[in-house]
Amino acid sequence: MLFEVTLSGVTLGGMYALVAMGLTLQYGVARIMNLSYGELLIAAAFAALWFYSGLAINPLIGLVVVPPIAFALSYAIYRILVQPLVSRAKTRDALEVDSILATFGLLFVIQGVMLALFGGAYFSYSFLAVPLKIAGATVAANRLLALLLAVAIGLGLYLGLTRTRIGTAVRAVAVDPVAAQLVAIDVRTASALAFALGGALVAAAGVLVSMFLTFNANLGVVFTLKALVVVIMGGVGNLLGALIAGLILGLVENYVAVFVDPGLTLAATYAIFLLVLLVRPQGILGRSSR
Amino acid sequence: MLEVKGLSVQYGKHRAVDDAALSVATSEIVVILGANGAGKSSLLKAVAGLQPPGTGARVALDDRELVGLQPHQIVEAGLALVPEGRGIFGELTVRENLLLGAFARRARADEANNRHRVLALFPRLAERLDQTARTMSGGEQQMVAIGRALMSAPKMLLLDEPSLGLSPLLSSELFRALGRIRQDGIGVLLVEQNARKSLAIADRGYLIENGRIVGAGRAAELASDPAVQRAYLGGAR
Repeated sequence: MLFEVTLSGVTLGGMYALVAMGLTLQYGVARIMNLSYGELLIAAAFAALWFYSGLAINPLIGLVVVPPIAFALSYAIYRILVQPLVSRAKTRDALEVDSILATFGLLFVIQGVMLALFGGAYFSYSFLAVPLKIAGATVAANRLLALLLAVAIGLGLYLGLTRTRIGTAVRAVAVDPVAAQLVAIDVRTASALAFALGGALVAAAGVLVSMFLTFNANLGVVFTLKALVVVIMGGVGNLLGALIAGLILGLVENYVAVFVDPGLTLAATYAIFLLVLLVRPQGILGRSSR
Repeated sequence: MLEVKGLSVQYGKHRAVDDAALSVATSEIVVILGANGAGKSSLLKAVAGLQPPGTGARVALDDRELVGLQPHQIVEAGLALVPEGRGIFGELTVRENLLLGAFARRARADEANNRHRVLALFPRLAERLDQTARTMSGGEQQMVAIGRALMSAPKMLLLDEPSLGLSPLLSSELFRALGRIRQDGIGVLLVEQNARKSLAIADRGYLIENGRIVGAGRAAELASDPAVQRAYLGGAR
């Protein structure tokens, strides 16, 4: 029982971590607090659903097709909607306020389109819904697959950002955008790419989530909030922190839902969030100086 | 050859640099001396593209106009700035800082050679490649900053108060390193509070006061000029 709950908690936590990694790229590198972030996850989930039920296309192919589309879309959103805000913002605080307002509006636009297309009903589809036995515990094959893919994507991203020059450059923009210019990094382009990469990540998470969760058009904001909690808990801009915080959150939510009361999961989420903020306001792996 | 003409920097109503002109040849060390707030940092920032240089300004590196270029394009053109406070990536390791130093396309072809030269210039960095830059001493961080700038294969190196906060021993070591950088054919323009040590290594110098360049000359002449001694060398001896 405990192992089963843990496994399911790790799966959920893996999704949170993936979603948070994307948000930390958008917020930590591009400095854009994107409130419409979760809407892209739901849009990707709907795309996977439509591929599978409408066109009989395997979600694994959806995982290859949807994130590049989300990358292009996010890149366009950055260049068209966000870049004018960046250019006119006098301070970082002003940019933060502007980006929150603009993406708050974008949230309702994307949500409205999805509501018009799909209504408010809940959707799910049955893909690999077969039970697997692992060490005496039963787990659905689709959850396990989603977890493994999340791990692979997260690891790939981590290696890409730490082992390559271009990845290191993206992190450098997060650390010090002025100094980044002084080593010939085009900060605007790097920000646009980081924003687009964040969009691709959340879309990948959306496809994975759609394989085992029931979702509707209103659920995006839930993922945005969870991602925010995880990013702040882990330390803004810190990928490893997002991973750890995501796993903690997924595990605690599942334990509380199974062993205490399903109605208390949200309370538990915010209880740990508050605890982390009280003890380490800079986040689990964050630096106090920033 | 770096040539600056008619450069001004304005912060609101305050004019930090007023119609400055100077030049630095390759294999030459030029020092700008001036009191705190005289406009030295603003001058360097404007040359590197971090501040708008005012209308009518000319900044040319080997006859290529730099005014109007973005800071990252100016690095690409061959001018590297080590800013005040060093501007290294504190959260990243020494290795990563040097790797990013060679981010410029111009730096890629000769990257291995430049890295070799930087590590020969600052052997201490070779021992500490995997250390997080933030955890190093002030002098070591300055070595990272200069090493990172050299990794971009610059023709011209600009340094803003490199000896600030360093011990006398370390700053002597730093100025010796600048001498070796000059031998490699790189032009060096530095802004300094430490007039004595910088004039000892420099070829020429400029004096800046309230944003205006008020004097210029060979370093040896400046060092023996009574007015300079009074203003920048702590009185005549």
